[in-house]
Amino acid sequence: MTKERKFRSKKMMERTSNAVVYAILIIISVVWLIPFVLLFIQSLSGDMVGYSIMSVFPKKWTFDNYVRLFKDTMFPTWYGNTFAVSIVVMVVQTVIVLATSYALSRMRFKLRKPLMNLMLILGMFPGFLSMTAVYFILKEMGLTQNLIGLMLVYTASSAMGYYICKGFFDTVPKSLDEAARIDGANRATVFFKIILPLAKPIIIYTILMAFTAPWGEYMFSSFLMLGDPSKFTVAVGMKEWIGREMVNQYFGVFCAAAVVVSIPIVLLFMFLQRYYVEGVTGGSVKG
Amino acid sequence: MANLSLKHIYKVYPNGTKAVNDFNMDIADKEFIVFVGPSGCGKSTTLRMIAGLEDISAGELSIGDVVVNDMEPKDRDIAMVFQNYALYPHMTVYENMTFGLKMRKIPDVKKDKDGNPILDANGEPVTYMRHYTREEMHERVIAAAQILGIMDYLDKKPKEMSGGQRQRVSLGRAIVREPKVMLLDEPLSNLDAKLRTQMRAEIAKLHARLNTTFIYVTHDQIEAMTMGTRIVVMKDGFVQQIDTPKNLYNYPGNKFVAGFIGTPQMNFFEGTLKRSGEMVDIDFAYSDAKISVPFSYFYKTRPDYLDGNTTVYIGLRAEDISIDKKDVEASQAKIKVKVSHKEELGNETLLYGDINMEGDGYVESSTRVIIKCDEDTEFHVGDVIEAALDLDHIHLFDKETELTIIPRIPEYNYVDCAIADGKLTFAGATVELPSAVQCKNGSGELLIPTDAMSVADDGVLAKVVGFEEISGTKLLCVEIGSRRFYMTVEDKIEADSVRVKLDMKRLTINMDGETVVTPMARAIRFDGKLAKVKEKREVEVTKHTKEGDVTVNKLKKVVDFNLVIAGASYPASDAVALKLISTLGVSRAFTKELIFECTPYDVKLTDEGIEATLKTVLDYGSERFAVYSVGDISVPVYLQDQAGAPASAHLSPDLDKIAIIQKDMDIRLI
Repeated sequence: MTKERKFRSKKMMERTSNAVVYAILIIISVVWLIPFVLLFIQSLSGDMVGYSIMSVFPKKWTFDNYVRLFKDTMFPTWYGNTFAVSIVVMVVQTVIVLATSYALSRMRFKLRKPLMNLMLILGMFPGFLSMTAVYFILKEMGLTQNLIGLMLVYTASSAMGYYICKGFFDTVPKSLDEAARIDGANRATVFFKIILPLAKPIIIYTILMAFTAPWGEYMFSSFLMLGDPSKFTVAVGMKEWIGREMVNQYFGVFCAAAVVVSIPIVLLFMFLQRYYVEGVTGGSVKG
Repeated sequence: MANLSLKHIYKVYPNGTKAVNDFNMDIADKEFIVFVGPSGCGKSTTLRMIAGLEDISAGELSIGDVVVNDMEPKDRDIAMVFQNYALYPHMTVYENMTFGLKMRKIPDVKKDKDGNPILDANGEPVTYMRHYTREEMHERVIAAAQILGIMDYLDKKPKEMSGGQRQRVSLGRAIVREPKVMLLDEPLSNLDAKLRTQMRAEIAKLHARLNTTFIYVTHDQIEAMTMGTRIVVMKDGFVQQIDTPKNLYNYPGNKFVAGFIGTPQMNFFEGTLKRSGEMVDIDFAYSDAKISVPFSYFYKTRPDYLDGNTTVYIGLRAEDISIDKKDVEASQAKIKVKVSHKEELGNETLLYGDINMEGDGYVESSTRVIIKCDEDTEFHVGDVIEAALDLDHIHLFDKETELTIIPRIPEYNYVDCAIADGKLTFAGATVELPSAVQCKNGSGELLIPTDAMSVADDGVLAKVVGFEEISGTKLLCVEIGSRRFYMTVEDKIEADSVRVKLDMKRLTINMDGETVVTPMARAIRFDGKLAKVKEKREVEVTKHTKEGDVTVNKLKKVVDFNLVIAGASYPASDAVALKLISTLGVSRAFTKELIFECTPYDVKLTDEGIEATLKTVLDYGSERFAVYSVGDISVPVYLQDQAGAPASAHLSPDLDKIAIIQKDMDIRLI
């Protein structure tokens, strides 16, 4: 009898603790979701609120904000700019990061360790420290107010993001490379035919990281594109709308734009979520 | 399908650790070689150097007579099986096996539409390189799959299979390419015991069937003993012994090999041996055990160990000690053993005991003894029983160097000798000493190297008593007087008696603990280094012009490499310079001190070269040598015919025959 009671009480304890954990998780997710839900609601609101406290349920529901967004503003251009930059950066950066990580994981050359440490430490400094210098360099090259300049800035330091990727490659047994090399493959064949097919999670992870970073980046693009609205990215353009003088007029449009901007990211994450988690844990935990 | 040769192979890591030290071996075609040793002994590193996965720091590796040091693994035509199988996880078994074939091209004859070979201007068929066709690949995969019994898994992915199946696929992937050499790196270590035994047999069968050279790495001595035609035992980067399994077991070259090969481990006792007449007294240390046995067991034993003072290891295997009543009664070598416990293994029983009556027989010590006995042998713990030692199988090792002191090929023959008026008398025979061997009268001990005795018409008469062939060396056992001598010969000798001549320049004579006659140095070592000389001079340059290639003389800066040997410079051949620079590195090649080693026969008197002054001329009768001093070292130089030896001369070593050794790391470079 006593034993059974003890057993039951343990089960009860487990249940209670589960309930507590779930409650906390639900609260956290609600807190996380509130801004986005509010944003979404505001994008459908016809009220002119501006910085004043907005009502959770607007008096007037409308799609006007979206219509205005695409008809009356330069948003489609900005969206296109951002998309172009992000896609190019995504492709180039993924290639560079994967190749660097593979090389650092597999090849043994002089100063490999110091190089890795140097890259890691350099990567810890915020990128905008170099902003002024980068601006003048690009100006000399005639690449300010130019999307290519922006792409260059974003991809230039991509090799420094080797860390997680290298961790993943380190978990792939070296004997696979060796077997393939004995089988007659050269380094490139080993990389493309043997290692990359095994590295799907980390490729997805790299792609996601490479896409999302320039997608929402503000600092560099606002600096580089200053004065030419046709070259703005979404972040720079939208920032204008919530400036003091424009906010009353554009707040609804801003919310609509924010929703549109989040669509590709949401889609990407929804489809690739499974790999993303694998990639992060695969790289960091085992590596 | 190829022989391999490893010459002075070294692996040195950047931090200076030497993983492999002076690995020398010739592997014949179709051999099954096993590298065995404890972990970290360099066996895998050696295998990986053969595979090309690891750089060779120094030395020369050739596969089928082609030096492959700088060849990519894929061009060496080898296949390798890994411990963790290394199957490509995203490919099916079939794809795994075809991968290597897809990567390769084979030469083929170009054919026209009708299938006739196209001929070039000389009437030779035109060849080109092509990939394997789908059908060819399929045929090969199916053939390999049938051999290995993996036909049913061809469509499966590696992760759907068990360890044994995976290892089979990995073997299959290796054999479809029909490589010259199969390399196997602990292929069975990840399998369970039963599967391991089974796969062991299958790999042996595969070897018999494929007729390919196999090199197999393992740390398991049973695998090594059962599979190898020859075994390489390694420890700490050094090759301990290379021999057949049987010879390793019966004639271990040192204590490590003796202990590593065979289960249960060989019993090692410490003790001293003292020869008194025709008997030898063995006194076991840490124990009261003392036995006296006939000298005939110790013919090949180095006599300097039979003095009763030098402690040696006495090794006896568990099966060479018997407690059977009949054996004990008949034996002259009986010792008392206190029984501590036994291990019953079903087919045999191991009895643990101690020859020290205070010992407990559990801890490995120099008095613990393990005896193989019948299972129905009755005894009680604490009993003191008698055991008979089978001295035909005794192994003796030096306590410091742990090398065997009963070598199969003895290094020296030791014999008492007497010298009177330029005549040497040993074992009843008398020979004239040449003028080069100057020695006072008296009696002492004579050391004759085994290879310093040769058959000659004007030699001492000797009776042939035995002949052995030990891994290529032919060893003749002769009797002069009543004393046994061992000598190496070139051909088997059928006659009952031969005449034996001594190589006088190789004799050592000791008198009263002093060496009065020393053998002539067989190797001369000069210090030196590699030097770089930049010079502007006219060289022939080939110019490519429209009219064809024209050779013109042009003033150009040229870099020459010189070998500086004991102060004298010799131009280094491109091959030598390249090899030194590539092994030492560009920055270190010119600063590292080198040693140049050659024999007295490879040094010539020349007009230019190393400055030397004459010390003396040694006349050994049939040969004459001039001894010169170069700095602190004395250099014997072979004098041809009646050539004179000038008081001051210039010496030049034969650069083709010289060995080059890096001084501080002791790495043989050439």
